[in-house]
Amino acid sequence: MTELELRELRKTFSARGRPAVDAVRGIDLILRSGELLGLLGPSGCGKSTTLRMIAGLEKVTGGDILVGGSSVTARPAQQRNIGVAFENYALYPPLTVAENLAFGLKARSRADRGDVDRKVREIAARVDLTTLLDARPAGLSSGQKQRVSLARALIREPDVLLLDEPLSHLDAAQRDTTRRELKRIQRDLGHTTILVTHDQEEALSLADRIAVMKDGVIQQLGTPYEIYDSPANVFVADFVGEPAINLLPGTTEADAHARLSPAARVALPLPVPEGRDVVVGIRPEDLTLTGEDGLPARVVAHEPLLESGIATLTLDGVEKPLVVLTDPEVRLAHDDRVHVTADPHLTHVFDAETGDSLR
Amino acid sequence: MTVRKRLLGWLADAALILYFLFALFPIAWMVILSLKPTNQLFSTYFSFSPTLDGYRTVLGDSEGIPFVRFFVNSLVVSVGAVVLSLLVGLPAAYASARWRFKGSENLMFTLLSFRFAPELTVIIPLFVLYQKLGLFDTYVGMVWVLQLVTLPLIVWIMRSYFADLTPELEQAALLDGYTRKQAFLRVALPLVKPGVAAVSLLAFIFAWNNFVFPLILTSNEAQTVTVGALSFLGGDRPKYNLTAAAALVSVVPPLLLALTIQRYLVRGLSFGAVKS
Repeated sequence: MTELELRELRKTFSARGRPAVDAVRGIDLILRSGELLGLLGPSGCGKSTTLRMIAGLEKVTGGDILVGGSSVTARPAQQRNIGVAFENYALYPPLTVAENLAFGLKARSRADRGDVDRKVREIAARVDLTTLLDARPAGLSSGQKQRVSLARALIREPDVLLLDEPLSHLDAAQRDTTRRELKRIQRDLGHTTILVTHDQEEALSLADRIAVMKDGVIQQLGTPYEIYDSPANVFVADFVGEPAINLLPGTTEADAHARLSPAARVALPLPVPEGRDVVVGIRPEDLTLTGEDGLPARVVAHEPLLESGIATLTLDGVEKPLVVLTDPEVRLAHDDRVHVTADPHLTHVFDAETGDSLR
Repeated sequence: MTVRKRLLGWLADAALILYFLFALFPIAWMVILSLKPTNQLFSTYFSFSPTLDGYRTVLGDSEGIPFVRFFVNSLVVSVGAVVLSLLVGLPAAYASARWRFKGSENLMFTLLSFRFAPELTVIIPLFVLYQKLGLFDTYVGMVWVLQLVTLPLIVWIMRSYFADLTPELEQAALLDGYTRKQAFLRVALPLVKPGVAAVSLLAFIFAWNNFVFPLILTSNEAQTVTVGALSFLGGDRPKYNLTAAAALVSVVPPLLLALTIQRYLVRGLSFGAVKS
């Protein structure tokens, strides 16, 4: 198995008559052998461009890509031995599943038929396709297509596996099973893998580590827990977590508190010099409704979702609504008066100007 | 509601029948004309003693007009023009669909302009050039000049076919270790087969029907049916029955082709609008 390293990787798109676009602006990453890294970000953040550069489908503007310690940057895609499972599966419609899988083997070497057959059957067993080998792509469900696509990427025994939004075209039920399958297969075979996705759930559940990307720059790299528990800046805090974190502007006060309005102030996890403009981040799941003490608020709406509820409140004197995850037995009505408290240890503070965490 | 629907259906049928009568009448007229004996050509409209003599004369190369050779010439130059256009045009269409390079759009527009510029604008200089280069009245010359007709058609239609293919299929092939050329030949090309069939037929028909180029650029050796059929009009008395027979014979190849690949035609001529 192989280590993958990106050094100062950059990509600038330039077309005549149009301003150049810096899609990827210097990415440094080291993937340990067998690690699954999630590259998470909104569309247009450069994650797919990064993937395409690693695969060799996009020319690199600057920087270096190393597979197993040696640079592959100058090599064309054909000579990189990188497997990609494309977002749209890229299955060849006239061929059966077995032929699709064999197609990838026939390019490099004049492998003999028995060998190809054996490998096709082996990989099919791995991803649970044995009964579908004679089917054509048009007759498969999205989840099955995804497995064929994965098998196709894996059959050549690539050094690095790249997954491009592998679950985005699946319905909810298929997504769950396919996600579990993906995780199992990746663990079993131990490929160094990059998973590109805009879906935080996908990244959080599958990846060993996550790199959150925005505007061609990695905003934060860490385990799913690190990303969730201590987001490096407002963007990461906002992008990861569902429902999204509450971000409220405020001014710090002397006793490790921030004032959000004349009527509302919250405790901060650490003392911050007085009079500084900050953004206070509190996740909906870290807020509790209390009887009397806490911040006074008015209920705007409450969505009971059986296993929990989502309440939208306005704190007195604060314009931005506050979203709170409530216990399932809580019943709230429009215009009810409530009080909320936040655990200061789970509260995040960001600089209002730079957006960086003050932790 | 249903009454109105049925009435509309009848109206539509009636309109279609009227249209067919209008469209097919000239052809029916030609068939009648071609079956008339020479001495009854001008004396009657419908009551005559039908004969196949007209066809015998035309196909028998009598009257000093080598119609069969014209027919073969048409086949050779039309097929030749389509084959050459496919060889050059398919890679060109693929390249222009996949890559933007310097001047690629200008190049494509220039190609298209061959189609909307009237052939008559270039025919006189071409005539002079062909005389000087020794291409006048040759197969090579005809195949070459017909590229003005077939190449833009093939490049532009096939370009949209290739553009409709997701590039990921070829990229997956590249990652598997196939070369660019193999990705084109083994992945992209087989997927646009219906398009190739349809566009080849269209190009063949356009090439076959072309009149101005063979009229000016051939005299005898490479002359095609479109011009050749008119030879029967020359002489002291125009032989309309022979011209009609010749014209009907010359319709046969495109018609047969269209019928054999009809299956591809419907799929192919939707120009990628209906995705599989």
